[in-house]
Amino acid sequence: MRPSHWLGWWCSLFLFGATFQLSAAPITFNSALPVSKGEGEVRVQAKYLRATDDPGPMSRELTVKALPIVGVWGVTSRWTIFGIVPLLDKTMELDMPSGRSKRSVNGLGDVTTMVRYTAYSKDQPGRTVRIAPFASIEMPTGKDDEQDRFGRLPASLQLGSGAWNPLIGVVATAQSLEKEWAVSASYKFNNEANNFERGDEARLDLSYHRRVWIGGPTDGLPHFFYAGVESNGVWQGKNRNNGQKNPNSGGTTLYLAPTLQYVTQRAITEVALQLPVMQNLNGSALKQDFIFTLSLRLNY
Amino acid sequence: MNNMKKSIFLAAIILFCSTTLFAAGTQYSLRVDGLSCPFCAYGIEKKLIHTEGVESVTVDLEKDLVIVNVQEGVVLTEAQLKQLVEDAGFTPRSMSEQLL
Repeated sequence: MRPSHWLGWWCSLFLFGATFQLSAAPITFNSALPVSKGEGEVRVQAKYLRATDDPGPMSRELTVKALPIVGVWGVTSRWTIFGIVPLLDKTMELDMPSGRSKRSVNGLGDVTTMVRYTAYSKDQPGRTVRIAPFASIEMPTGKDDEQDRFGRLPASLQLGSGAWNPLIGVVATAQSLEKEWAVSASYKFNNEANNFERGDEARLDLSYHRRVWIGGPTDGLPHFFYAGVESNGVWQGKNRNNGQKNPNSGGTTLYLAPTLQYVTQRAITEVALQLPVMQNLNGSALKQDFIFTLSLRLNY
Repeated sequence: MNNMKKSIFLAAIILFCSTTLFAAGTQYSLRVDGLSCPFCAYGIEKKLIHTEGVESVTVDLEKDLVIVNVQEGVVLTEAQLKQLVEDAGFTPRSMSEQLL
């Protein structure tokens, strides 16, 4: 079983939550909240994915660590551009004829740029509702020809896909001082490179955050503490190797994630634990255990 | 001679204090819709504080209120303030001003 059957999907999914949202907003997906014209924000995440539930005979264990750095710039009050630079560390352990083996790689992954347009906004005292379509392109900046002592790493264990992969979507956010709802739908068109094409991906994400504590300075902006829950429904089509569909790839996964956020005027510190409550994967794909995210967003 | 020096020094002190105490700036109070979290609201604070002549900006989320204090002699027009609020991604509702 080659890891290309399932690993590419996870790495892509894994990084999606690191991409776009910078306001006090969902942790595992995008937001429609505003970024001021001519102002910037930055976000750094530490993400940890673990997958050890192997239905096959090789006792595969996958660990992916990622450090995506996201920069945001408000071009106008409605147009916002994003850049995502991911640093990756992937390790897979599995039983091979020669014994227990480890294959690993680390370095810069594929950089993504995105643009978001606020198509609808309705502001009221202490609350806002916004809808924003977005589009992004994942560029082949990560190496796609890494090797180890067993030879060339499979396509999906590479740092980069080697392909230009566009994504389109739309996100809606309703936020008041006490709570926030968000929903996002997106579709990613994955393209072929090196005779490998990862299956396309569709997502539907939901989140609900509730303010549970308020504090901080009395003469300035207060500090908010939110608790929330997020869900991510993810479908992926089958991968193609040399033009042939791979039956052991793709499928549907539903995640639920409890979240915590501490929000001040200059920074947001947050954690999320994504648990796959339903994994309906094709063939003998390795199943995930969890994704943990620790994140810091800064206003500068 | 000593008395004259003392008088001049005293006059200078009084003059300095009077100009400091009675330096009159202007305070603008803006009602803004859409302010729903501290991190987002800081965007409007950044936008306004970088405006020439603005001395301080205070945002009160619970009252949807943004207080802008400017230096003496500096005038911000309603159109200018409206544009700054909109550039920050929010909706201005009303504005008032008073001399300090």
